[in-house]
Formats: sequence, structure tokens, C-alpha cells
Amino acid sequence: MAVAGYHGRVLEVDLSSGDIRVRPLQAEDVLLYLGGRGLGTKLLYDRIDPTVDPLGPDNVIVIATSPLIGSQAPTAARGHMVYKSPLTGYIGTSNSGGAWAYGFKATGYDALAIRGRAPHPVFIDITPEKVEIRDAGHLWGKNTHETTDILTAESAPGNPCRALVIGPAGENLVRYAAVANERNRVYGRCGPGAVFGSKRLKAIRVRGKEKITIADEARYRAGLDQALYLMKQAPITKRLLRELGTSGLILLINLINMLPHRNFQDVEHDEEKLERVSGEYIARNYLEKAGSCYLCPIGCQRHTAVKGADGSVRRGEGPEYETAVLMGPVCDIYDMDAIIRANYLANELGLDTISFGGTVACVMELYERGYLTPEQTGGLELRFGRADLLEKLVELTAHRQGIGDLLAEGSYRLAERCGHPERAMHVKKLEIPGYDPRASYAQALGYMTSPTGACHLRGGYAVSLAFFGGTREIPRFSLLQSPIAIRNMQNTGILQDSLGICRFTGFAFSVDPWARIVSGLTGQDFSTARLEEIANRIASLERLFNLEAGLNPEEEDLLPARFAEVPIMAEGKPRAVTLESQLQMRRDYYRARGWNDDGRPGQEFLRHMKIQRRNNRI
Amino acid sequence: MATHKWQTSEEIFRLFRSIGRASLLYDIQDSHSGNMAMRWRNQAGEEIVVITATGSQKGDLEPNHLCYLSPAETDFGYYKASSETDIHVRILSLPGAQASMHAHVKELVMATLDDQPGPKTPPPFVPVDPLAFYHLGPEIPVDWFAVPSGSPEMAKTIPARLAEHPLTIIYGHGAMTRGRTLKEAFYHLCLANNAGYIVRLIERQITPRNVDSGSKDDASEVLKARRQAFLQELRTKIKAAPERHFHFKPPAYNIEIDGRCDFPDEDEILKEFRKAGNRIFESRLSPFHTGSMSVRGVDYLLYAPQASRPYEVGGPLLRLPLAPAPGDDRELELHKKIYAESDFQTVMHCYLPEAEAHAHYIYPGEDRPLDRIVPVDAEGSFLYLAIPVTGPDVSDEELIRLLHDYKLVVVRGGGVWAVGSQSLSEVLHHPSSLREICLYRIAASERGLDLRRMEPEKASRW
Ligand code: SF4
Repeated sequence: MAVAGYHGRVLEVDLSSGDIRVRPLQAEDVLLYLGGRGLGTKLLYDRIDPTVDPLGPDNVIVIATSPLIGSQAPTAARGHMVYKSPLTGYIGTSNSGGAWAYGFKATGYDALAIRGRAPHPVFIDITPEKVEIRDAGHLWGKNTHETTDILTAESAPGNPCRALVIGPAGENLVRYAAVANERNRVYGRCGPGAVFGSKRLKAIRVRGKEKITIADEARYRAGLDQALYLMKQAPITKRLLRELGTSGLILLINLINMLPHRNFQDVEHDEEKLERVSGEYIARNYLEKAGSCYLCPIGCQRHTAVKGADGSVRRGEGPEYETAVLMGPVCDIYDMDAIIRANYLANELGLDTISFGGTVACVMELYERGYLTPEQTGGLELRFGRADLLEKLVELTAHRQGIGDLLAEGSYRLAERCGHPERAMHVKKLEIPGYDPRASYAQALGYMTSPTGACHLRGGYAVSLAFFGGTREIPRFSLLQSPIAIRNMQNTGILQDSLGICRFTGFAFSVDPWARIVSGLTGQDFSTARLEEIANRIASLERLFNLEAGLNPEEEDLLPARFAEVPIMAEGKPRAVTLESQLQMRRDYYRARGWNDDGRPGQEFLRHMKIQRRNNRI
Repeated sequence: MATHKWQTSEEIFRLFRSIGRASLLYDIQDSHSGNMAMRWRNQAGEEIVVITATGSQKGDLEPNHLCYLSPAETDFGYYKASSETDIHVRILSLPGAQASMHAHVKELVMATLDDQPGPKTPPPFVPVDPLAFYHLGPEIPVDWFAVPSGSPEMAKTIPARLAEHPLTIIYGHGAMTRGRTLKEAFYHLCLANNAGYIVRLIERQITPRNVDSGSKDDASEVLKARRQAFLQELRTKIKAAPERHFHFKPPAYNIEIDGRCDFPDEDEILKEFRKAGNRIFESRLSPFHTGSMSVRGVDYLLYAPQASRPYEVGGPLLRLPLAPAPGDDRELELHKKIYAESDFQTVMHCYLPEAEAHAHYIYPGEDRPLDRIVPVDAEGSFLYLAIPVTGPDVSDEELIRLLHDYKLVVVRGGGVWAVGSQSLSEVLHHPSSLREICLYRIAASERGLDLRRMEPEKASRW
């Protein structure tokens, strides 16, 4: 294929056989699925039986880049990883900043597909000249920072090595283990680290200098100018994220009664305590400097330091909003020192902090209700508010020791084993992030219909519209407007993931400047209409994957009963998302997607969307 | 003598007060000018005329500023009722006329001024925009009166004019109109003022740059002649074949659905419609009760025809099936088509006068109107590198394609179409920004600046 912005090559690695080959990237695939998440989903779907054991050798990990990676487009350095999730059993799809994806593209490939299981721990070493599967015995057991440092030590000036690594959590198959690059940038949700671990794949190292071509420089530049200008205009991308990081949202989200508390039992917080986990508090007491992912003018990273009782100082990154909320108020913890320490450790051991926090909160509720005994917890008093236990629980989970073995299974499996699955706050077994769905119907529907389960990023970042949308602000409690609004939000997210750009650019603008940039760069018609069509196609292919993997929409496209039955107060009224409301919005959402009322895309629709199941899997 | 001298009706009072305020907001009155009247059947079943008191402030009417007169005894209350009561009562005796209104439609008055000595017989005013052309008529009468306020001469001429036309112009003074409702009468006046404004904007953007003449006096004569010639030519063409110069005939004012609301329980959406409708009206993005906006549901749309509406007056809010239906007017049909071909969640159509006028702009040295509006101001140029301007013959497919790419399209002779992916507020921002963009460009042209030189170079690529 010869589309500017792509190298036209997919690297295929079979860890069982050691086979390494390069396949041409089909032009049709990029025109229909663009790159990143879309292209990754297509490549995965063509290579996997969706019913495979996610922790077995037949699972496939696809890492795909976008045509923008390799350009100077703001934030366009994000890679996307697609696989079958060991946590949900459905499609796993994770995205990360950092420079690894940029480095991978510079090796001359657009995507990487990995299957099989190595006989012993390995890492894959990729340069434009050579691809090798190498022994990783010396790395196994090391944390993400140590592994990264060892693998990138061979960097040469102007030609850095970049490493994508797992920590002990991945090696120990924690179902929500993450994959990290540049130490603290993680592909977090859905457990890609466990899939790496199941393949005995410790890391992927890349180094190269291959460049992409730009078809229409002037057109590309015009879009770029516009994007940069708008990012400098919008208060969130201009100031809030740089000054306060994502945790700057905590007090604001609380203002709209959307900040969950005690495993989502309510949204009531003691204001004074809450202040102590806010972005403002972090900025005053822990922040050393803000940082940026590669090519990002926003810079929301928090480089922080925390002092120990003995006066020693630990340095690291975070916490982000989700970490601060899920390890904080959701567990009734308002101790920022403890949250930061646990966050550092989770990054080093390779855990998704959202699922970890959600699972701990679930355990705390089970324990307080007497559904989990001290014998089961190894004598730990796992009550809400036990900030002193956070770090220990991270350690136990990553190594699957004691109660950690249960925590490593995620909240749903854990609660089910205790006989109370209704206490797990999840959708499709993925823990709910830090936005209470009762405070925004669109967010509720987003969790319900996200292909990966309760994810604010794949399900549609409705809070960005409900509160920070500016001209795009939507009603928070409209059953009528939510289905289309969330479909459109999800589509915007799909496009951002498929273009390799950061979700936070959406606070400044939607897809229009990107359409100009990517059309100019590739020389193809990626108009907004075309991008819209591509997003719809990707959403339907993800759905198809899940259905083939066994999804039962009737039962699984729903929120936990708590959100239907226990109201919170928001905007002066009690608010719940009743089952009736969920069913109405869900049906309308399916229709808006063009699917049947049972949540399944029909044959005719799939034909119309040019979604084809290959007869022979690759 | 009528026995209902100072009777009040809360409903009537609220109506008069809200229309009075709206007319001040729309700047078609001065603090005390104009008057409104309507026929009304009181609780006793008697038909009476309600009219504003002379000298009352239309923006702040009090209950005692409404006079309730028997149509058979019009002399009663003359000391309090409008000095033009007699004219109103005669208008209200016309078939179908339930309301009448007089206002100082300044833009139209300015557009019809001439420098000939009186007495005069001014030519009719020919609108160049589709709203006024179709709904006030291709020739709106203009009459010069020796005593242009409450005179017997006016009482004779104006009702006769209004028997033939929905609105008539009193030279140098304002306009009088009739309506099936008071709101419709106000609608006519807003259309009239808007029509005058568009003509004046077209005149203003005809640049002195092309006028080369020996002396300053000559230059202004040449400029005046050029403006007249341009308008003359445009009007001749429009009158000869309006269907070729206008996108479509805007739907007629529908009084049947005026108070209808099909989704009264959707508080948040109602609020969004109210805010957007009020902004369209107050910011004059479309004259009163023109244009349309919608929010798409899954198989229906929430539709506000007659979108321009101040808070206090309101307008219809309908829930309609998304599938095309036989009774759909062209405006509604386009909303539905846009949704059928896209994922947009909101659509707005406004008859933005600045865009309507600027769509006729011809760059010096060129012979065709522009096909894109390139912002020359900072905000506009980053929000929109260029805004397409199509001819009135644009196909629906092409219009929708352009909306996908630009979110905002100007149709010459057809208003402004805009789309949003999420909210009414988002879609409202488009015509609102465009208004400023056009104002800056028109002002630059008026000041003799070279627009081509001011346009960012990068815009040429879009
Ligand atoms: S905004 Fe934050 S997360 Fe996004 S690319 Fe920039 S630094 Fe990374």
C-alpha cells in the first residue's frame, strides 16, 4: 500500500514458534479503520477467535499506531493496544501516552501483532534492521522502572531506546495488570499486563529513525495551526491541566455531585477532608514540576515527591484524578501521603490503579457488611478509611499473596466468591471510574455500552460535556438527549484513539482540525463525514467481537442495581438511573448505532458498514 | 358608551407587555413610539378592541396602559388611547385581521429615504431576502403623508393598503401591519425591519475602492449610483424569477401551532431551547419567529420552527418523527435529511441578515459574488478558516456535504445552516460567530479596506 503517513507494514511475532514475519498493511484496512484503536481492532479480529482463553497462547495482542504518529501533531504519539481482556472476557483496548509508540513507528512498522507463549521469559527487540525475540530471564521479577532502566541503558544520543514493560503484577497474571512505558505512562485498563505475562513477554524494546511522508504539507499545517490555537484558548487545556493536573477536577466534580464515596454508596464528602486530596493540595504540597507526554503542549503530568516519617523523600508521578479518587474517597481515604505512596508502588509493580481502587473499595464494603471475614483477609481489618493498608494491599495484589490473590481477580469475581456480586461496582467486570453515573445519564449510558465495560474513556467522556463542554455542554439528566450524545462522544473517543491523540484535546475542540490534519498528512479524504463513518464502523466491529466472545447485551449492558435503586442528591433532586430509564436509553442507543433492539448488529447493517468476517483467519 | 373602560385581562396584558418589550429589544420602537391593537372577546362575549395608550412606554407597559374599546364606539378613550386608534380600528375591520401594530422600523425607514422634495410618491420597496419577499410581498407600498402621524389621510390610505398587503410603509416614519394574532403582526414588522437592514448592508459593502472620480463630490455621486444600480439589477432579477434567487420559500407563519409544546416534562432540554431561541432573537440572528432549530432523538426530532423567540413570547416546540412525512415543509425536510445523512445531534437554520447581505458581496475587479467568507478578525479566523457560501440552487446533498466539512454554510438567498454534534448551544455559536465575522468584513469594505489583503493566506487552501 502507499498511503502517506503509513509505512505499510505489520510486524507479526509468534512467541510459541519464534516465527517473525512482516505482512503488508492493506490499504483497505487503513481507509476503513484509520489506525490506532480502529486498525488494531481490525487486525485483532482478523487474527483471533473471540472465544479463546484470554490468558492462553491463542490470545493476540495488537499494538497499532496512527498515521499521525511520526508527525508533529500535538499529542500524536499515543499507541493503542488491543487484545482479549482477562478481566472482562471481551475486547480489551488500552491507550497510553509516552514516546514508545513514536519509537515503534520509527522502526518502520505501523502495527505489531503478537501471539503464542514463549517457553521462557522473553522480550522483543525491534529495530529497522532486525527483530529478535530475546531472553528476559534477567528481567523477570523486576519492577517496571528497573526493567525500563535496564532496557533503555543502551540508548545512543539522537537514537533512544524505548521500552514497553510489565511489572510483577503482569507476571503474576493480575487480571488488571498494566503495561508501562517511560516508567509511568501506562496502558492501564482491561489487563494487558496479564496478557503479556501469560505470553511470558516481559517487554518490547524499539529503536529507529524511520520517517513518514506528508502528502500535503500546506493542508496539514493549516489544521495544525488551528488545533494549536484552540488548545491555547480553552481554559482546561491552557491552564487547569498544567497547573493542577487531572486531579484539579476533583473539587469541580464534587460540585456537580458526581464524586463517588465509599464504593459508590453516596457522593457526600467532608469538604475539609476532600480538600486534602485535591489537585490544589497536591500542587501546594507535593508537586515538583508538571510534565508532558511526547509532543504534548498541555502537560498534565504531575512529578511529585513525598516525605517519609524518617525524612527520606520518594519521587514519582501522580496521582491522576482517577487514582486519587479510586484509592481515595471511593475507599473513604483522604490521606494524600498514603495515596501517593500506593500510586508510586502500583506504577512500579504494574497495576491499573482504577481497578485496584475499585476492588479495594468493594472488599471494604464486603468486610464491613460481614461478607468477608478476618480469616479470609489474613487478619487485616479491611474497613473503609484504612489508608495505612493501601501500600500493603498493592504489594499483596501484585504478588498474589494472601488477600491479594483475591484482589488480583477484580471486584466482580471477588464479590461473587463472597456470595455478593451486587457489591461490585462494575460493568462487564470492569470497575467503574471516578464519576458517579447517577449524576449524568449520558455517563451512565456510556458505562453501560462501552465495549470494554465501565470505562469513561471508551464509554464516552460525558463529564467533559456535562460540565466542561463549553458550547457543547449537554443536559445531564435527559433521557432523550443522552443516547445520541453518548454515541457521538464515544465516536469522538474512537477517533482520538485511532488517531493516536490525547482525550484531553477534546476539551479544546472536537474532530474538525484533526480531519484537516489527517487528510493533509495522508492525502486521503478523511473528512469529518468519513471519520464519522469510520468511528461507527469501529464501534460495530468491537461489538461484533464482544458478541462472538459471548456478550449477553440484555444482562450485561446494564449498571449495577445500586445505581437504579439508591438515589443520590444532584441539582436539588434525588437522582437514580432507574432500570426503566436504563432500558429506554439503551434501546435508543442501539438504534442510534444502527443495531437491532437486542443490541446486535444485523447482517444487512454489517454489509452496509463494510464489516466483513474473514473466512480464513490470519 | 362602552362600559369596560379600564377592565383588565392578565393574559392580554402579558401578551401586550411581552410584545412591547420584544419590539424594544428588536429596536423597532423608541421609548414611547408605536402602538398595538387587537380584537378580543371578553368574558361577557362582547367583541372589543384593546389598544395601547398614547405615550405609553412599550417596553414597560402597565395594566392601565391598555385601553379596552368597543369597535362600534371608537371615539371613547381618545384622551388615553393611541392617537392612531382610528387607523387601528379600521385595520381590525379587515377580513382576518385580529391584530394591528405600528412600529418605527428604522432600518426600513432608512432604506426607503430619498432626497427628493415633497410631496412625493415613493416607489414600493422591493425586498431582496426571501422572508420579506415571500411573506410581505415583492412590492411593499411606501406612502408619503403630509401629516405622517394619526392623520385622516393615513386613516384612509393605510387600511386600504393593508387590505392588499400584510404591511405598509409610512415614508420617514415607520410601518403599519395587520396579523391574525398580535405575534404575527410583530413578525411582519421584524421581517420588514430585517429587509431594510439587508438592503442597507448591501449598499454599505459596495466599496468606494472601485469608484474613481475626479472630485470628492463626484465620487459620492458615483458611489450612490453604483449602489442603486447594483440593487436595481438584483431586484429586477429576483422579481423576474424569485425561485432562482432564493433557496426555497420560507414556511408561512403558522399560528395554529404557536403555543404547542410536545415535551413539557423535559426541563433541561426546554431550557436549552428557550435560551437558544432567545439568543437568536436578541442577537438578531434571525427575525422574530423565523428560522428553525432541532435536537435529534433516535427516531424523532425535537423541533422548534419559528426558532427566534424572546423568553417572554415563546413559540412552538414539537416532537416529530425523524422519518420524512407528507406534510413536512421544506425547512423541516432539510433538518430530517441532514440527520439521515449524518451523526449530528443539532441543526439550526437562521436568516442571519449580515450573512444574507454579505453573500452578495463582489470583490473589486470580480464579477461574481463570493463563494466563501474568510474571517478577517482573530477569533473568527481561528474558528473558521473559511465558511462556504453556496448559490440558492445548492442541492441538498452538496449542502450536507459542506455541513460535514465546515459545520456552517451560507446559502445565498437561503439563510445560514449550522450543525452540532452535541448541543443547541454548540450549534448556536456558529451563526452567532458568523454575525461578527460578517460585520467586520462589511465594515472593512465600507471603510475602503482591501479584504483580499486582509484575509489570511492559509484560508485559500480551504
Ligand atoms: S494532556 Fe496529559 S495525558 Fe494527555 S498527552 Fe498531554 S501530558 Fe499526556
